[in-house]
Amino acid sequence: MNMILKIAAKEMKEVLRDGRFRVLSALCLVLLVVAAFSGKRYYDFVNAQHKEAAEKERLNWTSQEAKNPHSAAHYGTYAFKPKYPMSLLDQGVDKYTGVSIYLEAHVRNEAQFIAAQDQTGLSRFGDLTPDFVLLFLVPLLIILVGFNAITRERESGTLRLLQSMGVSPERLAVGKWLGIMMPVILLTTISFFLAALFLGNLSDFGELSWSALLILFGVYVLYYAIFSNIVLLVSAWVNKSSIAFVILLAVWMVACLGMPKVVTNLADQLYPYPTQQEFMEAVNEDKKKGLDGHDPWNDAARKLEQEVLAEYGVDSVQQLPFNFDGYLMQKGEEHEAEIFFKHYEHLKEIYEKQSRLYRNAAALSPFLPARFLSMAMCRTDYHSHWHFSNEAEKYRLEMMNALNMDFADNSRYGDWSYKSDPELWNKIQPFDYTPPTYASVLSANTGNFVVLVVWLAVSFGFVVIRCTTLKP
Amino acid sequence: MALKNQYKYEWLGLLRDRWIIVLSLILLVVCFYAAHNGKEKVTERQAPLEKAFEEERAADDMYVALIDSVDLGLKPGLPVWQNPQRLNVIGQRAARVCAFEAQPLALVSTGQSDLFTHMVKPRLYGEALTLGFSELSNPVQLLFGSFDLAFVSIYLLPLLVLAFSYNVLSSEKESGTMRLTLVQPVAPTRWLLNKLVIRYIILSVVFIVAFVFSLSISGLSVIAEIGSVVKLIIAVLAYMLFWFGLSFWVNLRGKSSGSNAVVLVSLWVLLVLLVPAIISQLANSLYPVPPRVGMLTELRKAEAEAQKKADEILSNYYRDHPELARTDTSEQSLYPFWLSYFASQEEIRKAVEPILVDYESKLQAQQRTVDKLRFFSPAVLLQNSFNELAGTSSRHYTAYRQQVVDFAGTWREFFVPRMFRNEVMKKEMLSGLPQFAYNDDEVEQQFLADITGLLLLAIGVFSLSLLVYRNQAVERILAV
Repeated sequence: MNMILKIAAKEMKEVLRDGRFRVLSALCLVLLVVAAFSGKRYYDFVNAQHKEAAEKERLNWTSQEAKNPHSAAHYGTYAFKPKYPMSLLDQGVDKYTGVSIYLEAHVRNEAQFIAAQDQTGLSRFGDLTPDFVLLFLVPLLIILVGFNAITRERESGTLRLLQSMGVSPERLAVGKWLGIMMPVILLTTISFFLAALFLGNLSDFGELSWSALLILFGVYVLYYAIFSNIVLLVSAWVNKSSIAFVILLAVWMVACLGMPKVVTNLADQLYPYPTQQEFMEAVNEDKKKGLDGHDPWNDAARKLEQEVLAEYGVDSVQQLPFNFDGYLMQKGEEHEAEIFFKHYEHLKEIYEKQSRLYRNAAALSPFLPARFLSMAMCRTDYHSHWHFSNEAEKYRLEMMNALNMDFADNSRYGDWSYKSDPELWNKIQPFDYTPPTYASVLSANTGNFVVLVVWLAVSFGFVVIRCTTLKP
Repeated sequence: MALKNQYKYEWLGLLRDRWIIVLSLILLVVCFYAAHNGKEKVTERQAPLEKAFEEERAADDMYVALIDSVDLGLKPGLPVWQNPQRLNVIGQRAARVCAFEAQPLALVSTGQSDLFTHMVKPRLYGEALTLGFSELSNPVQLLFGSFDLAFVSIYLLPLLVLAFSYNVLSSEKESGTMRLTLVQPVAPTRWLLNKLVIRYIILSVVFIVAFVFSLSISGLSVIAEIGSVVKLIIAVLAYMLFWFGLSFWVNLRGKSSGSNAVVLVSLWVLLVLLVPAIISQLANSLYPVPPRVGMLTELRKAEAEAQKKADEILSNYYRDHPELARTDTSEQSLYPFWLSYFASQEEIRKAVEPILVDYESKLQAQQRTVDKLRFFSPAVLLQNSFNELAGTSSRHYTAYRQQVVDFAGTWREFFVPRMFRNEVMKKEMLSGLPQFAYNDDEVEQQFLADITGLLLLAIGVFSLSLLVYRNQAVERILAV
C-alpha cells in the first residue's frame, strides 16, 4: 500500500509539475467557464422568449370571444417546452427537437421550431458547451498527460530499476493509475464545484437537481477512469511513447467521433424512421377506416348512433339528453387519439431499437453510455422530449374533452350556432409540465450505467494483467 | 542537380516506405465506407419521392378515366365532393408533389438534409398557413451526424496529413543524417519544403484516387459530374495544403518528433473541433436566430384578428371544415361556398404573410452574418463547399422552402380564377396542371469565396513560417 501511494504521489507530482497538464487543465477550465457564461446568455434569452410566448398564448386563448367550443378547439393553443438549469451543462439533443407543440382538434402535432433548422451548417460542428469540453476534451487531456506514463520509464530504463527494487507490477499499475486519475479528479471536482456555484445561483435550480449534479459528477469520473485505464494499458503495451500516443489518439477518434457516426448510419439503415409523409399517410389511412366525428353518414358513426340510442332507450338523436353532435365529436377525437397513439407507439419501437443498437455499440466506445447518461441527467435527451410530447398530448385530450362535452351538454342536436361562454376558456387550466422524476430517469438508464461499470472493470483488469507480465 | 536528386531519392524512399501504403489503404477503406453511407442516405431520400411520383401519375390516370365516365353519365351516384369535374376536388385531391430530389453529388455530404423533408404537397385548402418542412427523425442521429465523405475530408484527412509529415525534419535529426543533408547546397527551408511538396503530391494523388474510386463504385458517373467533382477535389487539396503549411511551421521549430506530434494534434483539435464550436457558440449568443416563438405569438394574434373579419365572409364553422359544405350547390354557381371560403382565407393570408416575410428576412440577415464567421476556420470553409456542391446546404433548403411556398400560390392561382369563372375540370386540363420543379439558380454560390479563403489561409501559414524562421533556420535545426 505504501509503495502504491509513493508511486502515485511521484506520478502525480510529475503530472502536476508538467506544463502540459497545467496549461491544458487551465485551458479546459477557461473553456468551461466561457461555455457556461455564453450558454447562460442564450438560456436566459430562450427562457424569456418562452415565458413571454406562453403568457401571450394563454391570453390569446382566454380572450377568445364567445364561440362554438369546437371552433376554439380548432384555434387551439401551444405547449412550450421548458428549459432546465441543468441544460446549461449538457445541451443534449435540445437543438434538434422542437420547442413547442400546437394543440388542436383532431391532430397530434409534432413539436415545431427545431433550432438547428434555422442555423447554418456551422452548427453541425457542435457548440462550445460544457458537455463538449467534458466529453471530448478532457479525455484528450488524459491522453496527453498519461500516454508516456509507462513508456517513459521503459525508455529511460527506470522500469528495470523499479522492478529490481521489488515493486510488484500490480502496485505499479495501481500507483500509476492513481497518479493519472487524481489530477483528473481534481480538475473534475473543481469544474463541478464551479458548476454548483454557478447553477445554485439560478432561481429555478431545484433541490432535487443537487443529487442529479452529484450523479453527473459520478458519471464523468467513471468515464475518465475508463480513459485512464485505456491510456495506461496502451502505455504498458507498446515500447515507444510516440507509438502509444498515435494509438491512443486513434482510440479517442474511434470512440468519440467515429463510433457515434458509424452506429448512427447503421441504425438509420437497419431501423429507419418513416418519413413525415409516410407517417401521416398511414395515420390518415387508419382514420379513413374508423370513426369520423364530423361525418354522421360514416359507417362507424352510424353504428355508434344506434348503440347510444339503444342505451338511452330513445329512437332519435333529438331525444337524447345531450347534443349528439358534441358526443360524436368527442368519440371521434378519442378514436383519432388512439390512432395517433398506435402510430407513435410504432415510432417509439423504432426509436427503442435504435437505442438498443447504441447501447450495444457501447461495447466499442465508452463515449456512448457517458453521452447518453450525461444528457439524461440534464433532461436534454430524446427520452425527456418524448415525455414532454406525451404529456402535451394528454393535456390536449383533456382540453378537447372539456370543449366537446361543453358542446354536448349545453346545446341541442343540430344547433351548430351554439356559442359557449368565454368563462369556459378560463376554466381550462394552462398546461403545466412536470418532467419525469430522477428515479425514473435513473431506472431507464441502468443499462448505460452497467455498461460503464463493465468497461471500468474490464479495462482495469486488462491493465493489471498487462502489468503483471510487464518486461522492461 | 541537387534538387533533382533530392526529388528522385525522396520519391524512391517513400515508395519503399510501408507507412505510405498503410495510410493509403486506410484512406481508401474509409472513403469507400463513407461513400457507401452517402449512397444509402440518398436512396433513403429518393425512394419515397419516386413512390409519390408514381402515385401521382396513377391518380392522374384515374381522374382522366373518372372524368370520362362522368361525362358519359356512367357515374350517376357520385357524391359532389368526389366529382373530379369540380375544380376544388382536383385542387385538393390531386395536389402535386413538390419534391427536392437529391442532386448528383448529394452522397458526399449529408449536410442539412437530415433535418428537412424533401416532399411537400400543398393543397388547395385546409393547409396550415405555415407549411411544415420538418422530417421525422431521431434527434440523437442528428446530434452524432453521419459518417460521410465530408466527415472523412474535414476530420480524418488532416490527421493523415499530419501523420505523413510531422517528423520530416526531426527524424533526420534523430537518426543523425541531418548534418549530411545540410552539407548539400540547398537551403534547409527549401529542402524541407521540397520534402513536403513531394508528400503533398503523393497524398493528393492517393486522395483523388480513393475519392473518385469510391464515388464511381457508389454509382456516381464522375465523367458526367466532372465539374463539381473537380471543384470538390480542388477544395480538399486547398484544405490539405493548409495542413501541410502547419506541418511546415511545426517542423521548422526544430523540436523532437514527439513534440511535433503533440503540437500538431493540439492544432488539429483547436482548428477542427474547438474553433468551429466556439464560432458556433458565439454566433448563438451574439447573433441569436430571431426567435420563432416570438414570431408565433404575433402570427396567432394576426390570425385571430383576421379570422374575425373572415367570419363575416363565412360562417365560422365551415371555415374549419370546408369539406362539409358539399351540399351547397345551386344553379348559378358551382362553387358558391368555395368562393367565399377563398375570400376568407385570403383575408387571413394577407394578415399573416407580412409577419412570415419579415421573419424570413431577419433570419436570412442573421445567417449571412454567421456565414462570414466561417473564414475563421478552414474546416468550416471546407464543410461549406461540400454542402454547397452536394446541394445540402441550409441555403438550398431555404430556396426549396421558398419555392414550395411560391408554388402553393401558383396552385391556388390556377384554380381559384377558374372557379370564379364557373369552369369545370376537363380531362385535358390534368396534363396542364402547374408542376413544381426545384431549381437552385437563386442559391448563392460561395465556392469561389471558400476556396479563396482556404488558399489565403494556406499561403498565410506558409509565408508566416518562412518569415519567422528564415534567418535562424540552421541554428534552430541543428540545436539538439
